[in-house]
Amino acid sequence: MTDHTSKNFDLELESLRTYVLKMGGAAEQQVRKAIEGLYSGDQAFLETVIRDDDRINQMEIDIDALCNQVIAKRQPTAIDLRMIVSVLKVISDLERIGDKARKVARLGITLSSLSGDGVLNEGLNHMTEIALKMLRLALDGFARVDVSLATEAVHLDKLVNAEYQSISRQLITYMMEDPRAITRSLDTLTIAKAIERVGDHATNIAESVVYMAKGLNVRHISADEIEDRIARS
Amino acid sequence: MNPITEHNSRETLSPLKAEAKKLNFYYGNFQALKNINMPIYEKKVTSLIGPSGCGKSTYLRCFNRMHDLYPGNRYEGAIEFHPDRTDLLSKKVDPIEVRMRISMVFQKPNPFPKSIYENVAYGLRVRGESARSVIDDKVEAALRSAALWGEVKDRLKELGANLSGGQQQRLCIARALATDPELLLFDEPTSALDPIATASIEELITELKERVTILIVTHNMQQAARISDFTAYMYIGEMVEFGVTDQIFIKPKRKETEDYITGRFG
Amino acid sequence: MNQQELQALRAMIATHKRWDYMFGVLGILALMLALMTFVALFADMAVNGLGRINVDFLTSFPSRRAANAGILSAWVGSVLVMLVTACAAVPLGVAAGVYLEEYAPKNWVTDIIEINVTNLAGVPSIIYGLLALGLFVYTFGLGQSILTAGLTLALLILPIVIVATREAIRAIPQIIREGAYACGATTWQVVSDHIVPYSSAGILTGVIIGMARAIGETAPIITVGALTFIAFLPTAPFAGDPPAGLFDWLFAPFTVMPIQMFNWTSRPEAAFLNNAAAAGLILVLMTLTMNGLAIWLRYRLRKNIKW
Repeated sequence: MTDHTSKNFDLELESLRTYVLKMGGAAEQQVRKAIEGLYSGDQAFLETVIRDDDRINQMEIDIDALCNQVIAKRQPTAIDLRMIVSVLKVISDLERIGDKARKVARLGITLSSLSGDGVLNEGLNHMTEIALKMLRLALDGFARVDVSLATEAVHLDKLVNAEYQSISRQLITYMMEDPRAITRSLDTLTIAKAIERVGDHATNIAESVVYMAKGLNVRHISADEIEDRIARS
Repeated sequence: MNPITEHNSRETLSPLKAEAKKLNFYYGNFQALKNINMPIYEKKVTSLIGPSGCGKSTYLRCFNRMHDLYPGNRYEGAIEFHPDRTDLLSKKVDPIEVRMRISMVFQKPNPFPKSIYENVAYGLRVRGESARSVIDDKVEAALRSAALWGEVKDRLKELGANLSGGQQQRLCIARALATDPELLLFDEPTSALDPIATASIEELITELKERVTILIVTHNMQQAARISDFTAYMYIGEMVEFGVTDQIFIKPKRKETEDYITGRFG
Repeated sequence: MNQQELQALRAMIATHKRWDYMFGVLGILALMLALMTFVALFADMAVNGLGRINVDFLTSFPSRRAANAGILSAWVGSVLVMLVTACAAVPLGVAAGVYLEEYAPKNWVTDIIEINVTNLAGVPSIIYGLLALGLFVYTFGLGQSILTAGLTLALLILPIVIVATREAIRAIPQIIREGAYACGATTWQVVSDHIVPYSSAGILTGVIIGMARAIGETAPIITVGALTFIAFLPTAPFAGDPPAGLFDWLFAPFTVMPIQMFNWTSRPEAAFLNNAAAAGLILVLMTLTMNGLAIWLRYRLRKNIKW
């Protein structure tokens, strides 16, 4: 992208982009740590995850203010306008991902204090990896204004959903086999649901990237349809 | 791609008011406009944007044959004026006839050094109108349409030049409106005005499109975004992109347009 | 900026300002020189002539006796000649100026006409006298009359009127013209509704300055044959028996102020020199009045013209 005549405008947009990526990194980190803490059962570690969510919330507020400043001062148009609008949506998704990490951490603390056999298995870990890969792809797409990375992220959401289905079936089986496992299983199901939501938010971010890059509104349609529309634009 | 059907599918079927067809314009040997094709829709505001020297004012001034006032200017192609499909640029069409149908408001307010009343009445006088009552009515109606009546109704005999800059420009708009033009041309009408006066002129333009088709040249892109239904981006005599204003400012089709409106113009 | 640099800056500004001051003094000196020359001339005339100025001087015809001589026929002649000059020069000059500015195509013919008009202003006035003698007196048979003199002076000031008209028209911003044309006006409507009214102040100023020059002209008037000793007035319209026509005075013999003065200064008696000074004083006053009128008119007319 060519530079603006106003160097300050370029700097403002660049710092905005960097800040969003930093926030994205922080959200990813929170999810990863929450799941790690969940598997290890380290309550103190999970406490830090809960505390750190405030940082992400603060980032959202800061970026929001920055966007307002740029709009008021520069009256952005076209790609610049679409970027600001996308940033506003992306940060709200990132903030929600942060909330999900905190929720996982809270439940992790609850679960570690419960007695009895764990119901966790590799499925949840795998699902988290895919959801976080989606987030990374979407954020890379944002950084490089690249729709192909973003559509790849949207495609992966199917895997996350499938993984969630399989985890929930498994947990239902546990609950039927052993009523004592019901509490633990329900908590675990909530955790899986949270991670599934992380995937949904990553999808939203990817869709915002498509809007930013192409000016196409691709919400509420399937990944294949998105690719189709991009190809036609 | 046919530009007319393409845009009309998005705006609810507004009829054509004028259409430039393969328009070329030369100042002597210098070609200032290159093969311009562009529709102007009835009762819509169409704005022309682009860097200085891109030919937007030159293009605007083709519509009322202003170039005929100076020697060495030459038109090629046509501007078809609807509904009668008169070619405004044809040698057979008298520029006076064209200017009687199409009014113009200039960059700098240019009231005549006459009274407010006489300024507005001038277009009628040129047409040979002499009935005092008719002129009185039309002057009042034009001043009302230009949102100036309330401010000047008790001082119609005063010089137009005694008004403030914004009022002078509205006086010039009233002068242009008094003769019920079919198309109103604005050549950067707010570039000499302060922001408040600018806002009042913009408001006026949005009101006026109820009754008259408007073509406006502006240096101020946000102004084009605020007031126009269609926007055309011009660069070195060429029409780079024409489209619905929202589309031009949110997702322009051409990279050149995007660079210009986002301030990446070198 | 430290103290030392600040001192240096102030010293530099002071040096530069010295030049302002010096030029101001020089300008005042130049002005004084011009003004003092005029005041000296005027004072000299006033000392010599003031004693002779009274009602009799203005209402008497010339006479062989200096004490009885007056300038009645001379000032009436001057006024009538000026009237003819104005009536001829204004329409011609304004029409020519308007044509050149608003109608004439910009080509080499127009260029040549323009150069010629400008050059005409520099032709010695005696040449106009010779031309008029041949053209008006002999060819057209207008005689050595007020009409001939008036037309001659009209030719003399025509270039001034044309140039003044053109300058006044050029001062009208192009955007005013475009505004009028954009209303659908024809060139004639633009000229009659805008160009001439808005440039009238400048045109009038030019006309009066030209007339002020013409009123002092001697050479062409002598050449066309003004008399130096006239003891009668041109017949007023419808006066006398049989009654004169409305314009009979145009063909009357005449004299004008500068010729009267010239005549007196060539007499040997000193008393006539005082008469000449008195007439000169009145001529200067007439010129000053005309210039004053020009300034007043310009102020009046410009008050309503703002771009």
